[in-house]
Amino acid sequence: MNLDFLAIAPTVIIVTAVVLLLMVDVTFQMTHRWWGIAAALGFVGATTASVWQWIEHRGDDGELFFSDMLAVDGFSSFAGMLVFPIAGLGLMAGWQLVRGVGRRGAEFVALSLIAASGAHLMAASANLIMLFIALEVFSISLYVLAGFTRKGEGADEAALKYFLLGSLASAVFLYGIALIFAATGTTSMYGAKAFLDSTLILRPGILLAGIALLLVGLGFKVSAAPFHVWAPDVYQGSPGGVTGFLAAGAKIAGFAAMARVLVVPLGSYIDDWAPAIAVMAASSVIIGTLFAIAQTDLKRMLAYSSVAHAGFIMTALVAGPAGIGDMWFYVSTYAFQVVGAFAIAAVVSGALTGRSPLSDYAGLSGRSPLLAAAMGLFMLSMAGIPLTSGFIGKAAVFRAAIDADYLWLVILGLVAAVGGLFFYLRLIVVMYMQPEAEDAAHPQVRLGTRFAVGVAAVVTIVVGFVPWPLLDWVKDAIPL
Amino acid sequence: MVETVVFVIFGLAALFGAITMVWARNPVYSAMGLMMTMFSIAVFYVSNSAHFIAVVQVIVYAGAVMTLFLFVIMLIGVDKEEDRTENLPIQRPLALVLILSFGAAVVVAGRLAWTTGIRNPLDPVNGTVEAIGDELFKRWVLPFEITGLLLIVAAAGAIALAFFKDDDDAEVDPWR
Repeated sequence: MNLDFLAIAPTVIIVTAVVLLLMVDVTFQMTHRWWGIAAALGFVGATTASVWQWIEHRGDDGELFFSDMLAVDGFSSFAGMLVFPIAGLGLMAGWQLVRGVGRRGAEFVALSLIAASGAHLMAASANLIMLFIALEVFSISLYVLAGFTRKGEGADEAALKYFLLGSLASAVFLYGIALIFAATGTTSMYGAKAFLDSTLILRPGILLAGIALLLVGLGFKVSAAPFHVWAPDVYQGSPGGVTGFLAAGAKIAGFAAMARVLVVPLGSYIDDWAPAIAVMAASSVIIGTLFAIAQTDLKRMLAYSSVAHAGFIMTALVAGPAGIGDMWFYVSTYAFQVVGAFAIAAVVSGALTGRSPLSDYAGLSGRSPLLAAAMGLFMLSMAGIPLTSGFIGKAAVFRAAIDADYLWLVILGLVAAVGGLFFYLRLIVVMYMQPEAEDAAHPQVRLGTRFAVGVAAVVTIVVGFVPWPLLDWVKDAIPL
Repeated sequence: MVETVVFVIFGLAALFGAITMVWARNPVYSAMGLMMTMFSIAVFYVSNSAHFIAVVQVIVYAGAVMTLFLFVIMLIGVDKEEDRTENLPIQRPLALVLILSFGAAVVVAGRLAWTTGIRNPLDPVNGTVEAIGDELFKRWVLPFEITGLLLIVAAAGAIALAFFKDDDDAEVDPWR
């Protein structure tokens, strides 16, 4: 067995931080400052370990550890370098919520740390059983986080809906693993790859059924249509301080798992799964865009927009291994945009409340010009306006799909992107051109939120102007 | 032959239990139906010579988990009958149609010969505790440890949700 501390360093650091946080908090009744210190130690340590893994193992230097359970390669270390800072930013933006829930704040911070670790493990799993356990670690933490305040309309509904539908999706996913195991005789992804590459299965019905069930389970996690129905209610009902990480983390982890499962073990069956991915991508961009236009609640609108973004990201996956770099580019830039946008929503509509009606944002430019400007920037970037990171991301995924001969999907995506302009610009119109309500409160922006929004805005602009370094890096973020 | 007979009997029992669990109006009947399904599945494990898993299934699921379910049902109240009105009237007929078509698809697919590709699927299974411990703590040690992380999530999550009080989101004094 190939044991290596560096391979599990991010997980070990996060778990150490969680245990320290909970034990010290129980013993000494610490304040929220200690929670912040423990979380910072965990996230900074895990990010550093991921960077170290990236330096050691990126590109062609990937390796398998722990009897082929864990893959440490450019793919997993890039996911770590992305998900830990994103979770840190999400927690900073939601610090108002941590302080607002009394002594339960320690559990909130601990669950955020564990969720990030689960997301990273999903990207690093080289065995389907390992992937399932990582997915459960990630999802179950998120179910609790989504229902954390249990206050107000829809909070309990959001948590329960997420939990029940998520459990169903996990069960479907597990059935898919069982069928893949039945077809290949192994749950190891690289073992299955070796088997499928060297064996011709004449009637691969069981394998195909397994692929279909895996796609359903993972499609749920990334909220791709037609498995997206939970997203609007959960995004809207869960407290404002959680939604950013919930949206960004699920995309990073879900697409990392989807890409590795499709490209590594099932790579030789690309002709069978690529059309399914293309159909899911097409229905996601159409449904996401059309329904987002009809929304009057910002978080609901962003939920449907995230369905559309899931479609755009899947557009890159139809290209198979060639599209993975483009998928990472889109996922990483989108994660920063969505964390920033929900951080602002948590300020304007409250970190503890769920709902976020568009009328809250009327005249925001007068009350808080910087917030309005940052929100406008994120909206423009999500819409894919040139000189923002969103534009480069869309260009990258469309190029990958064209190279894979999916021109119809690209044309559909372009039409949907233009349609998406409508609702992104509508928010900007509301913020800049509508008069503010008489009793509108002046939003209080805390330091953590300022930092999170600032980092997200800087990343969005810098990557929009100078995308080449990131485009170079994602070329190394490929699975072993 | 014996295995087929056992499979048919307990397969039907498992199906009956599952349907009872969903269908019964009284929650205690539902719990009993679930228990029946779990016992039947334990029998399948035995017939596949996975004895340890079968015992765990009976002790943990049919024993501990079911007892917990019954406790919760007793706490909530046994005599509560659920309200069966649907908000979406089309949902039930649609579900029935989908179940029937899915069943038909399974039957049709089951009549075809699918190749799975495993060259030697008839390796005898060694379901003893020693064999499982050997596998669990050698090859599968990392997933096993990550399962421990799941336990932390469960403990922390249960505490966080159970200690919820209506007054605790009054702004706390940050300096305390």
